[in-house]
Amino acid sequence: MRRPIFILLHTAAIFAITLSLLSGFRIATLTKPYILTVAPLLPSGQVHNLHLLSASLLVMLSVYYLYFTVNSGRITSQNRYHNVVTFFGYLVITICLVSGLSNYLDLTPTQFLSLHYYSALATVVYLLLHSWVYILQYGRRAFKKILLMNTKSVPYGLLGTLGLCTAILFFLLNTLTHTLNVAPISNQVLMEIDGLANEPQWQQAHTFIIDTTNGANFDDGHTQVHIKALSNHKETFFLFRWADPTKSLQHLPLIKTSQGWKVKENGFYQFDEQSHYEDKFAVMLSSSCDIGADGTSYLGKKPFSNKPANWHGKGYHASLDGKIRDLWHWKAVRTNNMVLADDNYIGPLAQPLSGQRRYKAGYQTDGKESGAYVMNWLWYSPNQVTPKRLPTPSEHNHSSVLPWFGSQPYQSSKDTYPIGTQLSSVLYRSNRFEGDRADVRAKGHWQNGYWTLELVRKNQTESKYDVTLNNNTCIWVSAFDSSQIAHTRHQRAIKLRYSL
Amino acid sequence: MIKRLFVSLLIIALTCAYVMFSDTLIEPSVHPRYTKVTAQGQALSPWQGPWACVLDRQHNLLWEVKTDDESIHDGYWTYSWYDQGLGTENYGDCYFEAARCDTQDLIHHTNKQTLCGQNNWRLPTEHELASLIQPPARPGQPYIAYDYFAHIKKGDYWTSKAKVKLQQKFAHLKQGAKAVNFHSGEVVSLPYRNAAFVILVSDVTKTYSHTQLSSRDTSTTQ
Repeated sequence: MRRPIFILLHTAAIFAITLSLLSGFRIATLTKPYILTVAPLLPSGQVHNLHLLSASLLVMLSVYYLYFTVNSGRITSQNRYHNVVTFFGYLVITICLVSGLSNYLDLTPTQFLSLHYYSALATVVYLLLHSWVYILQYGRRAFKKILLMNTKSVPYGLLGTLGLCTAILFFLLNTLTHTLNVAPISNQVLMEIDGLANEPQWQQAHTFIIDTTNGANFDDGHTQVHIKALSNHKETFFLFRWADPTKSLQHLPLIKTSQGWKVKENGFYQFDEQSHYEDKFAVMLSSSCDIGADGTSYLGKKPFSNKPANWHGKGYHASLDGKIRDLWHWKAVRTNNMVLADDNYIGPLAQPLSGQRRYKAGYQTDGKESGAYVMNWLWYSPNQVTPKRLPTPSEHNHSSVLPWFGSQPYQSSKDTYPIGTQLSSVLYRSNRFEGDRADVRAKGHWQNGYWTLELVRKNQTESKYDVTLNNNTCIWVSAFDSSQIAHTRHQRAIKLRYSL
Repeated sequence: MIKRLFVSLLIIALTCAYVMFSDTLIEPSVHPRYTKVTAQGQALSPWQGPWACVLDRQHNLLWEVKTDDESIHDGYWTYSWYDQGLGTENYGDCYFEAARCDTQDLIHHTNKQTLCGQNNWRLPTEHELASLIQPPARPGQPYIAYDYFAHIKKGDYWTSKAKVKLQQKFAHLKQGAKAVNFHSGEVVSLPYRNAAFVILVSDVTKTYSHTQLSSRDTSTTQ
């Protein structure tokens, strides 16, 4: 009976390791663009689930294999080379599992965040040294030796038990959440949304700390977010504070060259700008708390067969289970002066539009009645643009937003600015949004390398694109340092706990 | 051993070839009804721009495209309904007239400009304008193909249908003109004096063939 058990464990391990590596490398494409070179070999779609499932299976296999070898001893004899390689394999797979679990639980110290990725690369090396060398040595006989088994010998009981334990572990890991205690405040307390957090209620509130990782431009891609929350009967106030050494307010600025005005960019053409972009912060809310941003992450260039591909190859957000996820998107230039966060949502796949080059899948903005910022170019081209407006000479002070009053319509005869002049590309046509899109008031303030963001929204709005704030609500937070989409992330959801 | 090594290398080479040649090309899809046309009258592919008109291949019409550049085609300008003595003169708001604006002003300026190579711009009929109504593709957008008709507001747009008997609260004004409301996707009757938006139309006088459409885009929109 020992050999069929070994064959079962070995075959399941091949399956679990292969699935873990492929899904893991797909997740790694978000922060390591060079992996996109082999993207066609990687799975796309909801790969976070695949990754957690294969990891759960690998944990169960490892635990049982340990028990099996302790009780039954070794059942294969190997030469010295394979003994060394097998030891190497045990080591790197163990490191990979432990670091992966630690990453999933948001427990990994910053300096060890990359350990999971490098141990996965080492596992690939192990597979080559182990499997490839066996195949070179034995050819097809190697497969017969490790795969073929009489159907009567299959240990179905063990197979079923492993499957059940894997499912239970997957379920348990998937339901783990952090908790953010929301402190009660009186309706009479006036909270000023100014990003200064100088109300005494903030000083008394409990601070929840979460490490977010894998964002562009942050130190090692990491920033720690401190979160506080207060609520009266009608509204919930949030205070977010995160380290960002650079205050980035240059949002795709226009620069005058000898050929005319150009947009300063580094990736904007692929909708993945990572240099000349404003700082941002996003909060996703949902009434469920699952892995992979509550199942809204669909990775890959074309994760939906009947919808357009994306330009950066990273993926889309969409909600295909019929539920809406709310998304508050604070933007240091475009919305901060409006004292708003852009109220967005993640919903079903939008209908592709023939005239729009960028398809955004389920990520959309709530509707608005009026009010807008617009980009200060008549038509975007990577080569040259014509501004819609130029600042009046007395108002040209390199501010991050070009106000309507203080600027004038572009005329080539008035374009006497010298080469090298920089101009804002964000033009305010009004002070703020009006309507559904303006449900979230927010103001950020940067000081000494930290952004502090105060934000408030009604617990219950009348919009079908908003999620109610209550004890069942989970949130996820992301910081953007001068990047369009390359945000930091954390794995487990943060569940709100109200004491009212 | 040599044979196995050769087979292994062959598999690696085939995998590399698959990776190299399996990239997904991103191409625009042609709209079943509309084509972008430049201010000079040249047809564009769906992601090219800027465009000043939209060719309606279904009705063989050319539609004016509104802008946000404060030119005479800016989408924020409003107009009272007026045509050679009929209607109310200069009750709308625009920046390009010394006095205020009416529909005749926009028609006059657009024909003088020969927008998209045409000098037969006019107000659309009720049937023509209502044919543009379609459910919004995104929350809060107007009832029109917003990717082609950018800067259309969620408000009333004049048609050429005049001498319409007004009802209810406007009954005392007796007559007005029909308009299409792109907020609700409905046709309404309004007094001539109302400041409503305008999108002009012209009957196509030249042939636009698909051979004019560029297969590669040099300019893009966001």
